Amino acid sequence: MKQTKTYLHNPGYLKIDLMLKGIRVDKEVLKKANMDKCRNLFDVACGIDVILPHNTWVTVPYIEDFTKDSPYELMERDGRFFITHGDESVQVSVVPTPEFYTLKTTTGIQLSRIGLVHGGYVAITPATQCDFFNKAIECRYCAGNLDIYSNKGRVYSVEDVLETVEAAYKEGKAEIVYISIGFSDTPDGGIEFLKPYIQAIKKHFNTLVAVEALPPKENRWVDETYAVGADSVLYNLEIFNPKLFDEICPGRATLIGRERYLDALRYATTIFPNGTVASHLIVGLEPIESTMSGIDYFTNIGVVPILPIYRPSLGAKLSQYKMPATKDIAPLYGHLYRAVTANKINTTWVRDISIVTTPLEGRFFVGDEARMKTWMQNFYKSRLGLKAAWSLATLRRKLKVKVGESSAHRDK
Amino acid sequence: MRIEIDRRPIWLIIILRSFRPIFFLTIGLIFFYLINLPTPDGLTIQGQRAIALFTVCLILWVTGMLPLAITSLLAIVTVPLLGILDKKETYALFGNEAVFFILGAFILSGAVMHSGLSGRIALAIMNRFGGTPKGLLASIFLLASALSFFMSEHAVAAMLFPIVLDIAKGLNLRPGRSNYAKSLFLALAWGCIIGGVATFLGGARVPLAVGMLKEATGITIDFLEYTVIVFPTVVMLLVIGYLGLTRFFPPDIEDMHLAKTVFERKMKEMGKIGYLEYAVGAVMAATILFWLFFGRSLGIANIAIVSVVGLFILKLVRWKDIEEYVNWGIILMYGGAITLGAAMEKSGAAAWMANAAIGNGISSPLVVIAIFSLLTILLTEGMSNAAVIAILLPVGIGMASRFNMEPRLITYAIAVPAGLAFCFPMSTPANAIAVSSGYITTKDMAKAGIVMMILAWLVFNLTARFYWPIIGIRL
Repeated sequence: MKQTKTYLHNPGYLKIDLMLKGIRVDKEVLKKANMDKCRNLFDVACGIDVILPHNTWVTVPYIEDFTKDSPYELMERDGRFFITHGDESVQVSVVPTPEFYTLKTTTGIQLSRIGLVHGGYVAITPATQCDFFNKAIECRYCAGNLDIYSNKGRVYSVEDVLETVEAAYKEGKAEIVYISIGFSDTPDGGIEFLKPYIQAIKKHFNTLVAVEALPPKENRWVDETYAVGADSVLYNLEIFNPKLFDEICPGRATLIGRERYLDALRYATTIFPNGTVASHLIVGLEPIESTMSGIDYFTNIGVVPILPIYRPSLGAKLSQYKMPATKDIAPLYGHLYRAVTANKINTTWVRDISIVTTPLEGRFFVGDEARMKTWMQNFYKSRLGLKAAWSLATLRRKLKVKVGESSAHRDK
Repeated sequence: MRIEIDRRPIWLIIILRSFRPIFFLTIGLIFFYLINLPTPDGLTIQGQRAIALFTVCLILWVTGMLPLAITSLLAIVTVPLLGILDKKETYALFGNEAVFFILGAFILSGAVMHSGLSGRIALAIMNRFGGTPKGLLASIFLLASALSFFMSEHAVAAMLFPIVLDIAKGLNLRPGRSNYAKSLFLALAWGCIIGGVATFLGGARVPLAVGMLKEATGITIDFLEYTVIVFPTVVMLLVIGYLGLTRFFPPDIEDMHLAKTVFERKMKEMGKIGYLEYAVGAVMAATILFWLFFGRSLGIANIAIVSVVGLFILKLVRWKDIEEYVNWGIILMYGGAITLGAAMEKSGAAAWMANAAIGNGISSPLVVIAIFSLLTILLTEGMSNAAVIAILLPVGIGMASRFNMEPRLITYAIAVPAGLAFCFPMSTPANAIAVSSGYITTKDMAKAGIVMMILAWLVFNLTARFYWPIIGIRL
């Protein structure tokens, strides 16, 4: 890769820098990128989806105030898009706002309120609520966009969700469904609530489904999560340092507990395929060394660490928290790549996420081309690869899951 | 619903799960290989195909990889497909008299049980003779045996089981410890097994064997003739069985008044004998008399089905009452076995196999009987008695023709020992029911059962050697 004064020619660095600093975009360019509709859409956390070189996806903020000071600007020349930084520029692709965002379900709900596209994923949140807020023990970095107050705490029906997924797939905007739940004070970690949605999606679409839930009280719910159709599971610890975890995530700490997070993740790696159990560690809310320890711990037990960068949200208790600098956090991503490689964790599944840096994108920080891994990932993104992945995942589930009568039923 | 995730490595799961497809692929290859071998001298091409099909069915029956009935259906459709017999002839074989006799017997037996008559008789006899430990033991043993003369032994075991279980509980016998409890449950199982071979009615295997014989040779065995030939074996086994029960498990109880209480309570619950029981009892008695004295002229299946029709005309039973007693799987299985047996015989495959298997090494029919009865009694411990008959009888009939033996003899040598499965719970449902009580273990059953099996084989062969000639059967 070309060595320059800017990050423009290293997609890994550039992705982080863009996420932290945002980008300036002229209204005319936005129009040409078919992104001008975005501002009018309710609830869409607007960012411009850009594909950097080496097929690196990133969602770049451009509406927020801090983006006005960004050194980056999106330019358009002869129908081609470039990101510029001073005199330098790099050609990129801009992903237009999905057309389905403007559509409504048959019950009249705007599809963008149910599902949002991030890279290759359509992220579905069937219930826009998080009981942590009810108990005033919400995570301190969270702005409460999943608050149950007022009319935000709505539960969408299975049919609404199916219509959203169908629209996203018809438009070719997603390859994988990511379905999540906020905090739900039930022993199953929310999987019983998500179950009908997952089953319906699996019934109607040949697609992989990633589930973000909470660690259930008993491991049998992890079994259930896999059995109902989840191909990947995320229990997001967010903060690895125990003390900071208690402070920043009081709800998670008191109602679930750090140890339960770790135990559930460890158990899930024995149930789900290699590279499909993941957990977020937010970069910037704890010392770098602590995040590195978390990366080492997770990769040792077979969990894929996903490292979103903390960006203060308006309304969150940590809204004044200082954002980290790209050069400070860059070593984390190199460390992530090395740890994942050393522990032979499959990097094929956590891919094309535009809002976080994936483990394979960590290769840009260590100068490894990782040709085989990249080839595999590209293969699994192809039509044939997607079919193969879905078929293998289905076959694995068929072989692994045994359904019997419950003991209560047998006792009868 | 209980969900379990198999946490073994995926490659291991695939290997283990591949067993079934690999098994059936292997079966297919074996079949293909046998079909395409050069036809040996003395065997027709139809005979060769019949042997190939027989081999496949034998493997499936023995391994139980498919339900017995499904293997039989496979045999039925494959016989015409391979050109061993034509379609019309093949499906006509399914309409064999034995199949309809079995159907009729299931329904009659179901009607008797549903009416409550059999339970009442059982309670009355046990109440009358169950004053002492040995008296109660003998009454359970003989009652199970006597009822199995007239009803399916499996049904008898199922019917008497709750009564015996109540007695064991009423007497406060300790599960797995009490000798007396072990002997009671073993008496139930052995009584059913021994009684079950006495007539055509104890199980469907004798009608199956008789049906196969008739299709293969045109020779028939009637109800009375069979019973006369087998009865001494049954009587001797009952005596040996009783002695065995009291020697293996000497009674460790003296006070029987608690058992009496159980009988009295149960009889009180039943109330007085009603019209239904009288009427069903009368139909059953008339049916048995007709089987005994007019079986040959009227046909036992005809008598059974007419009786069944009579039950419905008199509104003594409704279809939904007896539906649960009709084992359609067994009926299909028997139809298929008869078809396959006939295909083996008519194509010359059975005779060719017998010749190839035994050659000139055996000179006496008694030795043939000894060998087949031994093979049968050993095989029936591990597999379905009907499957044993389906496998051995076609070869046995072929053997009989080679030695110029009366084919009926080989039929007895297979049909009778096929019912004498004393050793293991999986050998026959009566044993499984006894072990399910928890009062007797598989080990207890096997220990006593092995001795009983050897004695049963000896008794059967001694009967063949000394009794059969007396009643005019030429060996």
